[in-house]
Amino acid sequence: MYRYDEFDAQIVKERVDQFRGQVERRLSGEILEDEFKPLRLQNGVYLQLHAYMLRVAIPYGQLNAARMRKLSKIARDYDRGYGHMTTRQNIQYNWVALKDIPDVLEELAEVEMHAIQTSGNCIRNTTSDHFAGATPDEIMDPRPWCEIIRQWSTFHPEFAFLPRKFKIAVNAASHDRAAIRVHDIGLQMIKRGEQVGFEVHVGGGQGRTPIIASMINEFVPEGEILDYLEAVMRVYNRFGRRDNKYKARIKILVTETGPEEFTRLVEEEYAAQQVSEKIALPQEEIDRINAYFAPPAFEDKAETSDAFERAKAADPAFANWTSVNLHPHKVAGYTSVTISLKPIAGLAGDATDSQMAVMAHLAETYGFDDIRVTHAQNVVLPHIALDDLYNVYRELDAAGLATANESLITDMIVCPGLDYCNLANARSIPVGQEIQKVFADPAYEQDIGKLHINISGCINACGHHHVGHIGILGVDRKGEEYYQISLGGRADEKAAVGQIIGKALRHEEVPGAVKTIVDTYRDLRTTKDEKFIEAVERLGVEPFQEAIYAAD
Amino acid sequence: MTSVRPKLKPDTPKTVTAWNTASGNVVWMRADQSWTEDASEVGVFTGDAAEAALEHAKTQEGSITDPYFMEVTEEGEVAGRETLRETIRANGPTVPYGVIIQ
Repeated sequence: MYRYDEFDAQIVKERVDQFRGQVERRLSGEILEDEFKPLRLQNGVYLQLHAYMLRVAIPYGQLNAARMRKLSKIARDYDRGYGHMTTRQNIQYNWVALKDIPDVLEELAEVEMHAIQTSGNCIRNTTSDHFAGATPDEIMDPRPWCEIIRQWSTFHPEFAFLPRKFKIAVNAASHDRAAIRVHDIGLQMIKRGEQVGFEVHVGGGQGRTPIIASMINEFVPEGEILDYLEAVMRVYNRFGRRDNKYKARIKILVTETGPEEFTRLVEEEYAAQQVSEKIALPQEEIDRINAYFAPPAFEDKAETSDAFERAKAADPAFANWTSVNLHPHKVAGYTSVTISLKPIAGLAGDATDSQMAVMAHLAETYGFDDIRVTHAQNVVLPHIALDDLYNVYRELDAAGLATANESLITDMIVCPGLDYCNLANARSIPVGQEIQKVFADPAYEQDIGKLHINISGCINACGHHHVGHIGILGVDRKGEEYYQISLGGRADEKAAVGQIIGKALRHEEVPGAVKTIVDTYRDLRTTKDEKFIEAVERLGVEPFQEAIYAAD
Repeated sequence: MTSVRPKLKPDTPKTVTAWNTASGNVVWMRADQSWTEDASEVGVFTGDAAEAALEHAKTQEGSITDPYFMEVTEEGEVAGRETLRETIRANGPTVPYGVIIQ
């Protein structure tokens, strides 16, 4: 994990001091909300439906035990005993008082964390594969490049006031777990021979205008990527629309300009960069950053573990959990564990302070001090020895953290919705809970197989509904909550925007409609191996539309 | 302004609501134009009196933040198309938070 140098530490400390002064002036009435709002947003502070919300950056979703313990302490001391993991691998506190936020930021700085650039029209947290550095399907660990991009984009003076917010994701595995094609810039790491480089996707996004990114360059060598990113950002900064908030994202620029012309503009900008402007990251610096992400000291182990096999045989619940929540590891005898934050009828993505403390303890005791937050609002312990897995499971289970549903239908992405959000039109969390109850039987859920339901409470799409296999969007109809259902969206390497299947449904109709969709799939799938999304792609949405709306 | 809410007609009963700047707690205006965190104490305003109440609120934007009109009944109960939003704002989330139910 990257460690701050003296400059990082000084910058963060100065920022905390600066914000403390700004808060004091706000509380004294010296500055008013209109002046204060851009200042608080630059420090991750939103004013939500019933309270302030503080969004804390978790660079590429990586934590260690000390940081997780600090997040736990903040939840306990300054909030109401929990935190909410977000779809951009950050954490949000929903109840923190403005007067306390400078103290919170000071505490975060103690563990090299902050809330800088978690809001506002700047480059946000660079996100990545939550199994980075552990998964066998990656060509290399993407985190060093996420860190390099983080350092480049933090306080970049030229990109502090972009037309709109800007999100970058990096993936290095064959399976895209970072949703790069629905990011402003998505980078896929690839190798040509021994040369490492990036496939560059630009102009993806969700919100009211969902667009899958265009690939504008098949291979930018790693040493040139920052200069290339600068070229993309400059084209966006110059031509991106500032007259209309809803047309200000780079996806609109790429679409309106056309991907070919946009690419030409980027290439022109790139070619025009003077030698003196080039970042030309020296290899020693790349090596220095790489060293922070060196693999932990794995032991030589056999592929299988007797202890693990015995525990599975003795404890069916454990066996079931391992069949769902584990991901293969590149090192024999190890596995990556997904800790689901989606208990049935629980709060999607929320962890209590005591649960955070448990996760910190497990990472420290069994997991090489490594923890990840996933964009699907779960937590991962990326490096757990199979020999230790049963101990990990029992502690998770005791803490209410052993739900066996990773990537199954009850493992939904759910935005805070109208229960918390000042922008929402409808609630998301209760809808998700009610759907979960329909599929609470593990045998039924596992028969359905992998299926992503994503729920947003408004068109801003924080719940990624456009790219859910089943997407659910809350809308307001004269003060009543209705929900639009779409099918066929996906966020991976075959990214697609879902298709709305018909008129919006009332709140109470949604769980039944989802069950109808799922049972239609079970009836029509060729075999149990045909996943839901594959069946939708083969059949189109019509059979599902018919099943839901035929009675109308 | 954080909140751009639906425009209300002059004769529609309304109160003024905002957030306490320091705590972030939701506040409502009483009939005497003081602030309360108790939704049962809201003052009900119409016409010029309502506009005057909102203007008064805006002069207090040190201690409160982002005041706006919220539709209520003549008895001060939340009303209109934003009933659900304002009910949640007054009572908190409709789901228990930080509690794992299994």
